[in-house]
Amino acid sequence: MMSKMMIQIENLYRTFHHGSNEVSVLKEINLNIRQGECVVLKGVSGSGKTTLLSLIAGLDKPSAGKVLIEGEPISKLPDLFASELRAKKIGMIFQHFNLFEHLSVNENVTIPLIPSGLKMKEIHEKVDESLTLANIIHKQETLASRLSGGEKQRTAIARALVADPNIILCDEPTANLDRDNSLLFIDILGKLHSMGKTIVIATHDPLFDSLSFESTIVPMVDGKIV
Amino acid sequence: MNTNAFWHFLSLQLFKERSKHLSIIGISVMILFLLSSVLFISSSLRFTLEETLKVQPDFVVNRIQGGTAVSTPEIWGDELLDIYGVSKVTPRVYGRYFFEAKGSSFLIVGVDFLEEQSHENLQILIDSTDIKDFFNGNQMLVGEGVKAYLDAHFYKDSYNFLTPKGVFKKVNIFKVFPSQTNLIANDMMVMPIDLARKILGYTDDEVSDITFSVPNPDEWNMMTDKVSALHYDLHVVNKNDVQKSYENLYNYKGGLFLILFLVVLATFTLILYQRYSMVYSTERRHIGLLRALGWSINDVLKLKFMETLVVVFISYILGVFIAYVYVFIAGAPLLKEVFLGGQNLHNTLSFVPVLDFSVLTSIFLLYALPFIAAVLIPVWRVSVTDPKEAML
Repeated sequence: MMSKMMIQIENLYRTFHHGSNEVSVLKEINLNIRQGECVVLKGVSGSGKTTLLSLIAGLDKPSAGKVLIEGEPISKLPDLFASELRAKKIGMIFQHFNLFEHLSVNENVTIPLIPSGLKMKEIHEKVDESLTLANIIHKQETLASRLSGGEKQRTAIARALVADPNIILCDEPTANLDRDNSLLFIDILGKLHSMGKTIVIATHDPLFDSLSFESTIVPMVDGKIV
Repeated sequence: MNTNAFWHFLSLQLFKERSKHLSIIGISVMILFLLSSVLFISSSLRFTLEETLKVQPDFVVNRIQGGTAVSTPEIWGDELLDIYGVSKVTPRVYGRYFFEAKGSSFLIVGVDFLEEQSHENLQILIDSTDIKDFFNGNQMLVGEGVKAYLDAHFYKDSYNFLTPKGVFKKVNIFKVFPSQTNLIANDMMVMPIDLARKILGYTDDEVSDITFSVPNPDEWNMMTDKVSALHYDLHVVNKNDVQKSYENLYNYKGGLFLILFLVVLATFTLILYQRYSMVYSTERRHIGLLRALGWSINDVLKLKFMETLVVVFISYILGVFIAYVYVFIAGAPLLKEVFLGGQNLHNTLSFVPVLDFSVLTSIFLLYALPFIAAVLIPVWRVSVTDPKEAML
């Protein structure tokens, strides 16, 4: 039986305006990603993969076309619903980790659950689970500013997983990691893949060319899927 | 949003970014302290003034010739008494006596100690004075400011007045007025009316002015016209006019401070606005990140609003409390001189504690609204932009 469609991208365009100049970053993108799939968007810097990831996450709005998450058009939803969709269905891992440096690992991972309506006890349980999965529970009381690059990345993974989303989006996840930490990250991705998570990775790292688990490479050049 | 989780995160944010919040609270407390002190002093002075005016005579008339106050014939008192509705007609002799060497002056007030006084406090003071003892020689009652000034110039028990005829008149200090009366009595010397006439150069049938009461307030407006019609050079002032003049004076001083405060507040608001708007990139990035992690615009605004409210509330409590201690317990050193500094003798007036709800509300609104707006408007602007753009 075919798994359900998680992400549908239809005729997607993204254009930026700088004064009188118009820069098309994404052109005519069509892509369907099913549940449990791992898709690697590959391309050099400026090929539009990060922009595409932002549009999937609803962090940016398309100039034309649409992105559907489990059938819902995220870019057209009112803020309250788009935020809820983002909180429940999407976990995002950023290139620069984007942690709150003044908060501890534990507190950083708690943040996505604050608006969820869960009680503190439930939140703590979920946070512990997520920290264990990302192998960073031993640093839970450490301030984010005192972590190494690899530890920051694992904290970001724990934060992305804490709400148990179906979709994990990773933007250049190994760009700031050494080889050992990058391999460790790929191991964790393998675990998530085996859990049935839908994973989309935007990267130019060759380590993602031959992953140990099933993945689809989608090459991007100049804002187009080739 | 679960309330417990929200409060937990709010307290976390406040505690973890305490240096930022403490610096804002520090500046806020200073601004609130300044504003509260000025408003406390103004309201206390207004209260004292109202209390003082309550016991003042309703009307005062004197003679003005060529735009200058000259001595008033005492006989005018009888004419006033003939007007229906007028009571308690009292002639007064008073005037400034200049202490040439130091450029200061005292207010000499001559009273007829055997008659009922137009000023209730004066009556109370005289009632508590042993008249027989008082008339035993040239005596006077003096305000605290006068006493302190004379002491400083080695006139411990008496003072030698130089009359307009060039003769020295030695007058003993009989008693000092209590400090509660300092707003009006600080530079005052009260003495028998005949003695005051000699020192100030009045003849026996002349007085400085004449006071009277009109118990029915509805007759006040008409009374001014009636009395003015008696003589072309007669000048009438009622208690309301005096109150307005004093209020204008204190409002003017308080107003100057309010303008200064508004300038400071505007600057502070601008700094806050800049801090939370485009200029302050960390704050912007944090808001974008919260949005990217699934927080709605409302969630972000609620967090920032509550964060700001806690800062505003703590600042308000501290600022008002310190101002209260400064004004009503410490006696507002420095600021007191600004409000009372126009007087020629040092005034030891202590401010009566007045906690007016409208003043407290004004302080809160004057401070809290610009503060909250300065924070929330930029936060809202950042919140409604796409998270990706905010995180850049």
